[in-house]
Amino acid sequence: MAILRTRTHWGLLIAILVILFTTPLYLGNYWLGVFNFIGITLIAATGLNILTGYCGQLSIGHAGFIAVGAYTSAILTTRFEMPFLVGLLCAGLMAGIIGIIFGLPSIRVKGFYLAITTIAAQFIIMWVINQWGWTGGQLGMTVPFASIGGYVFRSGPSQFYLIIGITVLCVFFAKNLVRTKVGRAFIAIRDNDLAAEVMGVNLTYYKLLAFFIGCFFAGIAGSLFAHWNITLTPEQFSFTDSILYVGIIIIGGLGTSVGPIFGVLFIRLLKEILTINVVPFLEDKLTMFPSGFASGVTPMMFGLVIVLFLILEPRGLAHRWNLFKASYRLWPFSY
Amino acid sequence: MDFNWGEFLQFTITGLSVGMVYALIALGFALIWKASSVANLALGQIVLISSWFTYSMLAQAGLPAYIGLPIVAIFALFLGWVIERFALRPLIAQPILSLIAVTLGIGYFLEGLITFIWPLSTAALPDLFPKEVIHIGSAVISQEYVWVIGICLLVFLALTMFFRYHRMGIAMRATADDQMAVQACGIPVTRVFSTSWMFACVVAAIGGVLISSIGSISHGLVETGLKAFSVVILGGLDSFIGAIVAGPIIGLAETYGGGYLTEHLWAGVRDVIPFVIIIIVMVIKPYGLFGEERIERI
Repeated sequence: MAILRTRTHWGLLIAILVILFTTPLYLGNYWLGVFNFIGITLIAATGLNILTGYCGQLSIGHAGFIAVGAYTSAILTTRFEMPFLVGLLCAGLMAGIIGIIFGLPSIRVKGFYLAITTIAAQFIIMWVINQWGWTGGQLGMTVPFASIGGYVFRSGPSQFYLIIGITVLCVFFAKNLVRTKVGRAFIAIRDNDLAAEVMGVNLTYYKLLAFFIGCFFAGIAGSLFAHWNITLTPEQFSFTDSILYVGIIIIGGLGTSVGPIFGVLFIRLLKEILTINVVPFLEDKLTMFPSGFASGVTPMMFGLVIVLFLILEPRGLAHRWNLFKASYRLWPFSY
Repeated sequence: MDFNWGEFLQFTITGLSVGMVYALIALGFALIWKASSVANLALGQIVLISSWFTYSMLAQAGLPAYIGLPIVAIFALFLGWVIERFALRPLIAQPILSLIAVTLGIGYFLEGLITFIWPLSTAALPDLFPKEVIHIGSAVISQEYVWVIGICLLVFLALTMFFRYHRMGIAMRATADDQMAVQACGIPVTRVFSTSWMFACVVAAIGGVLISSIGSISHGLVETGLKAFSVVILGGLDSFIGAIVAGPIIGLAETYGGGYLTEHLWAGVRDVIPFVIIIIVMVIKPYGLFGEERIERI
């Protein structure tokens, strides 16, 4: 295990895992719900980070792929009465396959063209979900809670363990993936795809693989979301969410393994602070605005944060974290 | 089965006018892309916010159109200037991913701002064009469509003249061609960038006012802005002619598809046709009809 080199590393990892797995003891149901959602978002963001951060294929349709996973799992468990684990796996596979289909243009185009293709993917997927009879259309559908072998994950803490368990696995997988041959191929493609091709990296294979893995993660996240939230409507997977996922990995730091964690924590906690503290305060004080205006505060802040991070700290919070680690390591003789 | 020509003609006129508006919005995109190779993905939100602003001016403040619309134009100029100056200028020469992401962030911000100021879900502009319908054979055509097509053609003409004869237009074309050479000639490149953003916002605002005067103002206008990307893609990113040719094609495909395919497929097929076209073009001819194919070297 070369990820953990020293005893301090091991100690920190064990401490973090212990804190993580005892969280339900300190947190109430509301914050447990928030952390469940953070876990789900983190899985999706990790997938997008592999696709965009490591392989350099910008995807602005991630919410669409999450929706594919969510609805696949929901349809399998309600209409075919399959067990949850089958639904989870099929959700990942289905999203991965759809991802490959919409990733096909990436063989020929990149940059802005690919961004547009993924936007188109988002709208086509959401149209199908909105209109197809099996998905319940705009009314949405009700999904059973997750259950494994007769045990139903109904209470907050049990859901937390399920989601955090899978999240830890996914993050661990992603962290290891980038140290393998595949991960190095992804990075080579991101840095210069022509050079990578000349050196013998099979562009078609690896780009589509990146789409598959990224969307597989999205599908897993979608399935967990479906069985955690138990109601699904198409509005939960909007285009703005897709933008938010891109924002998350930028704020965290593109192409770093800790980036998505920081990004997701930052965005979700910012949202909580805004909805709990700022929005009611504004609704109270600024009465001259028409009612309902304060729901615009959250997207405004998100957009502002994304723009400011790009201008002021384009390498994201992960870069700050590395600076902090370096100064800690070199202290007190940092020169 | 006999073919309903009146219906067909109606679809054609609607498609043409919607397509013209798409082309107009796409021109706003191409302007920025040509001058600074920034892909402006906030176009939909710019369209939406200028439509809402028009609503505020004309319906809420009750100004007559000849005062209100110039104010909207000034607002769009200002919006373009602010976006370029405060978000894009610090990011000059950054990787394309940052440039795309920053426009996404701007779009997100504008969307919040729109909810903040105009929390209504939908509204209608006061009538800008006469309402009487025109009868051609068995077809009944609303006059506004004809007006929209006419105004779009006028704007195209004005822009073409601007690029051909005006100093700034020539400077913009030169910047698009070779930034370094232009800088060496003493043309202020940053001013060219900022002018291109201001113009693009005005063009997008015109598009927004036209399309919301046909229909209504709602969040769907963001999608309209995104549909304009299918025009950009089909016509080729850096081509004005491409946008003008591809716009009506997309508009016609959309209305014919909506008119003839809805009964065979699901509802709302009209709204996804532009996106399907994007995917098809991407797979077959990614650089569009008139776009310049770039050959890359290491």
